[in-house]
Amino acid sequence: MTELSPGVGVETDAETADVALAASGDGRAFERLYRAHVGRIHSLARRMAGPEVADDLTQDVFVRAWDKLGTFRGEAAFGSWLYRLAVNLILGKRQTRNSERVHFDAGASLETAPAMATEPELTLDFEDAIARLPDGARQVFVLHDVAGYKHEEIAALLGIVPGTSKSQLHHARMALRGYLER
Amino acid sequence: MRDQWSDQLSDYLDDELGRPEREALDAHLTGCVSCRVLLEELRRVHARAGMLRDEPPDRDLWPGISRKIAPAQARRALVFSVPQLLAAGVALMLVSGGTAWLAGRRGAPVVGPSAMLATPASKGEASYAAAIAQLEAALDAGRTSSALDSTTVRALEHSLATIDSAIQDARQALAADPASAYLNHHLADTMRRKLELLRQASALATART
Repeated sequence: MTELSPGVGVETDAETADVALAASGDGRAFERLYRAHVGRIHSLARRMAGPEVADDLTQDVFVRAWDKLGTFRGEAAFGSWLYRLAVNLILGKRQTRNSERVHFDAGASLETAPAMATEPELTLDFEDAIARLPDGARQVFVLHDVAGYKHEEIAALLGIVPGTSKSQLHHARMALRGYLER
Repeated sequence: MRDQWSDQLSDYLDDELGRPEREALDAHLTGCVSCRVLLEELRRVHARAGMLRDEPPDRDLWPGISRKIAPAQARRALVFSVPQLLAAGVALMLVSGGTAWLAGRRGAPVVGPSAMLATPASKGEASYAAAIAQLEAALDAGRTSSALDSTTVRALEHSLATIDSAIQDARQALAADPASAYLNHHLADTMRRKLELLRQASALATART
């Protein structure tokens, strides 16, 4: 995969130079890269792993990126390379995280969630609703519908078969349809 | 609602169904209002996901990152310290020459530290070109001696081509609007980036020779 979603693959001349400079040890150039990409990486971490660990994961991603800059070959845009590195790091750490979030019950959501949320307690915004999906469904939904990964790629990243990725995505969408803004 | 049809709606939406399954579901959708409604809701969920806005963290995370990469930064600086020092003098001359060249183009007096190094435009441009040639020769030597692997060379060539294109664009724009302070600054900055990239590349090649 070379492009994840619109905007990620766009690399300016200045960014090209900053990547080269950062790879040779220029911390100021790396800070410029951080400023340009932190919003996207932090949002990915927050959606994939939760707001309570998003700051730490974001820092880890940029430290890892600094360490790995020498392996960046310029075959994809820096933003795409960084995003993939972030996905790998976040998923690699998911086994060690002890999530304390309250999740949807996937089965109950599918059977009982109304087509549209009408009760006051169901007036979550869409981001909050994503955060309360079960881990597997949330990760597949973020990777597929937000980040633009394909099922085969998601399956490889998560160690599942593509059919499970498709099923998780459908579960997530079914649960989330009740939380669309009207 | 969960049945053989509704369970296929996400795959239908994502064009993941085979032709027979898709045609069968098309036929079902023609007569099933509830499946059409559900399909539209799933389509809206997918579209809503694509509109999510990325937000920066509430606090600046850079200080923590900077602390963590500082030791590695120092190591990298140490590795390249000698060639960088050798190249630094050339780079300083180049930047000064480039600035003087631009100042000469504008016909304006050079202000600040560079004023001490101000030269006629032609001389400034010549200095810039000579120093670029010198650094490119060092880079070529690195290529020839295999001090730089092919992947690194490709990345450098891509970066240099990008910067050269930007310099060319800036020069064309300046030809149309020679008095533009922004364009003059942009061209000087782009030339500086090329010099810096070449300096780093030649330092890398020298360090591995």
